[in-house]
Amino acid sequence: MEQPVQTEMWKARSLEELVRILHQIFAEDKVSVEEVQALMESYESNPEEWLQYAKFDQYRYTRNLVDNGNGKFNLMILCWGEGHGSSIHDHTDSHCFMKILQGNLKETLFEWPEKKGNGEMIKKSERVLRENQCAYINDSIGLHRVENISHTETAVSLHLYSPPFDTCNTFDQRTGHKHKVTMTFYSQFGERTVC
Amino acid sequence: LPAGLAQWFPALEVLDVSGTGLAELGAELLCLPCLHTLLAKNNRLGGPGSLPKGLGQAPLARSLRVLNLSGNRFADVPAALLLLRGLRSLSLGGNRLHGIPPDIQELRSLEFLYLGGNFITSIPPELAKLPSLKYLVLCDNKIQSIPPQLAQLHSLRSLSLHNNLLTYLPREILNLVHLEELSLRGNPLVVRFVRDLTYNPPSLQELAGRTVKTRNVPYAPSDLPESLVRYLSLASNCPNPKCGGVYFDSCVRQIKFVDFCGKYRLPLMHYLCSPECSSPFSSASQSSTSQSESDSEDEASVAAHRMQKVLLG
Repeated sequence: MEQPVQTEMWKARSLEELVRILHQIFAEDKVSVEEVQALMESYESNPEEWLQYAKFDQYRYTRNLVDNGNGKFNLMILCWGEGHGSSIHDHTDSHCFMKILQGNLKETLFEWPEKKGNGEMIKKSERVLRENQCAYINDSIGLHRVENISHTETAVSLHLYSPPFDTCNTFDQRTGHKHKVTMTFYSQFGERTVC
Repeated sequence: LPAGLAQWFPALEVLDVSGTGLAELGAELLCLPCLHTLLAKNNRLGGPGSLPKGLGQAPLARSLRVLNLSGNRFADVPAALLLLRGLRSLSLGGNRLHGIPPDIQELRSLEFLYLGGNFITSIPPELAKLPSLKYLVLCDNKIQSIPPQLAQLHSLRSLSLHNNLLTYLPREILNLVHLEELSLRGNPLVVRFVRDLTYNPPSLQELAGRTVKTRNVPYAPSDLPESLVRYLSLASNCPNPKCGGVYFDSCVRQIKFVDFCGKYRLPLMHYLCSPECSSPFSSASQSSTSQSESDSEDEASVAAHRMQKVLLG
């Protein structure tokens, strides 16, 4: 992704429009991070538009594919029950945008561990993302853990990954050891996938 | 709750009074015969009288399946709550609980128990008597140890323990065959082999008791004072299968590390009857320090098959 090519910023008035504009943007050779982030943030979350993708699981957070961007990106909705969180993970050289659709999510950033990591991983920063905010991360920025720290509210987030990826590394916070994992979808295009 | 609720809506099955500032749930509840889901989160419940008197005798006691009282002010679990025999799902997340009553075992049908975000310091072993419990959340509390009896929760699929004060886990946790999710991050788990320096040599009474048990010395209640008969009945078997020994009060606590799927090392507490008793998991004698690094090969591969996902990072 390069510097912004056009100066005007998009406004997505619905989830459908957001997807449409994303297809338009990603059809170009050059796509700007700032442009995508601003577009994602411009969409005002309307549960009626995404409820069909928001499938919760009792035991852990779920990944629900919304659009596969003609191979250029994956757009998905993640559903977090109370107390659900992710492991510390990287993003396999891809760009990752995360927008809150409902509730709040805490993002903790970590430094990459030393080559032969054998100590506690170093926390860089943490913040709580509010509804409609959109965060961005890639491997050069660092690693992160995302969690719903609420014991009373669920959370829903919209994620865009480009290029799409289905494996990543998870990291043990105490030692920095990494482990490759394959990610799966709980549902695709609103239909529950059985693995 | 509005008066006459049961008259207006006698067939009510789901009632959501979350975020309404309620300080008590009144007797109107007792007349709802079909209510199976009651959501009352983010209110001001918790004081005496939060739940109506006579709850145990009401139809609710048998019909209620789901109760969500998260985000209130409960400092303890009200006894009346434990009379809801049909309850499948209970949430008391984000309250002010300091403990869990042993009578929690009365909720025989419980499958889902959320107690995250309280001030709980310990877990009663009676919690393990819930035969249908599948999902147990104890994150964000002040828990220092897990009772080994918790391994009796045969149906447990997900256990959330992150952000507590655990330094180790009981080795019995390996027995949770159906466990698919386990979160342990944010606990001060020990990462290095810790040699127990506080081993107290057994007393004369203990040595005598051990001999009676291991050599099967016959005795009848008339042979011994009642206190000693009781003492002899409390013998614990040394977990080392090669050792037929028992111990009473004096044992060696030893932390062993078990690899899960070759990625995480969990510190598990083992109890052995004496320092001379070789650990079940090392082929060499116990005096070598390197055993903690390469031990538990068999145990690890068995556990790796069972534990499908351990969220430690």
